[in-house]
Amino acid sequence: MSTDNFEDELRRALRPVGAPEGFADRLMRALPAREPRAALAIVPPASRPALRRFWMPAAMAASLIASVLLGQHVANQREAERVAREVEAGQKASRELMQALRVTSQKLDIAYQAVTNPPATELEENRS
Amino acid sequence: MNARIALCLTALLIAAPALAQQPPKGLLRIPEFAALADKASESVNVTLDSALLGMGCRFLDASDPEEASAKKLCNSLSGIYVRSYTFDSDFAYPKADVDGVRRQLSGPGWSRMVQAHSKRENTDVDVFMLLDNGKAMGLAIIASEPREFTIVNIVGTIDLEQLHELEGKFGVPALGIEASKKTEKVAPKKKS
Repeated sequence: MSTDNFEDELRRALRPVGAPEGFADRLMRALPAREPRAALAIVPPASRPALRRFWMPAAMAASLIASVLLGQHVANQREAERVAREVEAGQKASRELMQALRVTSQKLDIAYQAVTNPPATELEENRS
Repeated sequence: MNARIALCLTALLIAAPALAQQPPKGLLRIPEFAALADKASESVNVTLDSALLGMGCRFLDASDPEEASAKKLCNSLSGIYVRSYTFDSDFAYPKADVDGVRRQLSGPGWSRMVQAHSKRENTDVDVFMLLDNGKAMGLAIIASEPREFTIVNIVGTIDLEQLHELEGKFGVPALGIEASKKTEKVAPKKKS
């Protein structure tokens, strides 16, 4: 067979032919059915019940932790205030104590002066 | 019989709070002199009961010699009360109140250690001590001048040795206090 004959045979075999009747319908039927769009949800349906199950205890635990921390903070603050008040009262008391001892010593000094150096005519005394 | 027991129990129940609230030995009933604070040019009003005194003692600085001595002394005390008022005019204070305190010191146990009177300055200083079984349980000082009066009441076991140690630290004079003389009763020495 010559080359020209072969090309003619090939051209004949590959010529465009129309599709048989009903081909398009058969083809469409043969294709797998399209999945509905709704199936492409962002949240996987399996994870929803887990969230619903745990959000309440998680919120309660968070509230509990928050209230414990807040309570601890308030207790610490109150303790600090109590210590500050006690220190203030203690310092005031020690200042008063020193003042009281100074007044006492001052008066004892007057008594002592009167007892040890009595001016001849003006001091009267009793001493143990 | 049952009625008598009930009566005794009732009497005890009524008396119990009164017995529990008995003031410590050596504590004087010092008026508050609240009205005088406004009239006075200077005033010192110190009321340190057992609790406050203990608190004050804890806050004294042991590294300071003066405060260290005070700390030693105040550990055995159960109260310090001071009323001191200075006025711009003569005898602006109620002398009757001062005399009222003085009268309490004529009660049993109190002994006058020192009585000093200056005619020229019209000054009286009396030092009293409450002795119980040879132990000093209280100290009282009443000092009155025309423009000033001071009442000091120290309650508790006063260690005379420790008071002696304070000499010179607060300006406390050497009173010649000796432990052996603790129990001696005060006797008038001279009066001119």
